[in-house]
Amino acid sequence: MSSTDSNPIRDAIAEAIDEHEVILFMKGTPEAPACGFSARTVATLQAVGTPFAAVDILPDPRIRQELSALSNWPTIPQLFVKGELVGGCDIVTEMYESGELAQVLGADEQAQEPLEPQPQPASQGLSIENRLN
Amino acid sequence: MPTAEEIKQRIEAAIPGAHAEVEDYTGGGDHFRASVTAAAFAGRSRIEQHRLVYEVFGAEIGGPIHALSLQTAVPDQAEPISAASPQTPSR
Repeated sequence: MSSTDSNPIRDAIAEAIDEHEVILFMKGTPEAPACGFSARTVATLQAVGTPFAAVDILPDPRIRQELSALSNWPTIPQLFVKGELVGGCDIVTEMYESGELAQVLGADEQAQEPLEPQPQPASQGLSIENRLN
Repeated sequence: MPTAEEIKQRIEAAIPGAHAEVEDYTGGGDHFRASVTAAAFAGRSRIEQHRLVYEVFGAEIGGPIHALSLQTAVPDQAEPISAASPQTPSR
C-alpha cells in the first residue's frame, strides 16, 4: 500500500492509516455523522468503547477517491485496524454482534497502548480527530 | 436505475453458484440490501466476500446504486475447503 508518487492526499491517507491503530473514514464527524451508515458505524465503535480516530471525507471529494483506490473498497464508512481494512458498516455491525469487533479492537485486553493526542496533520483537506472515550 | 431483481440477476450471473436476495429498502431505486450465499465465498474473509459482490457493479456503487448493503454467507456444508480463514461465517 505504499505510494510515493506525488499524490499528497493519498500519502496523507496512507500515513493516517499507518499512524492510528483504529481509524474510521466516514461522512461527517462522530458528533455529527452525515449519513446513516457512518452514524451506525460510529455508534457501534462507541458501544465497544475503545478509542478511535475519525476522518471526515466530505470536505474534499478527492479523499474518498484516493481512499477507495488505496483500499479497493467502494463505499464509506471504512474502518481500518492496525493498517488493515476491517470493513464498512455491514461488516462492523456483524462483527459487533458476534463479539469479534471487541476482540479486534482489543476491548478485552486493557493493555492497549493509549493513543496520544495527535496534532492535526497539515495535509490538505484531511483532518483527524482522536476520539478518546 | 437498476431494480432489485436486476441486481439479484447480476450477482447470480457473476458469482458461480450464488443465491441472492435483494430488496430495495427505500423504494427509491437506489438503496439496496442484498443477502448473498455462495460456495464461492468459502475460505474468504468477509471483506473478500463483499468485494466479490461489489466488483459485479464496479463504478455503479455510489452512483446509480447509491447504497448496497451486504450480508454474505457460505451455504451450510460439511467442511470448508481449507481451514485458512478462521472467520468463515456459517449461517
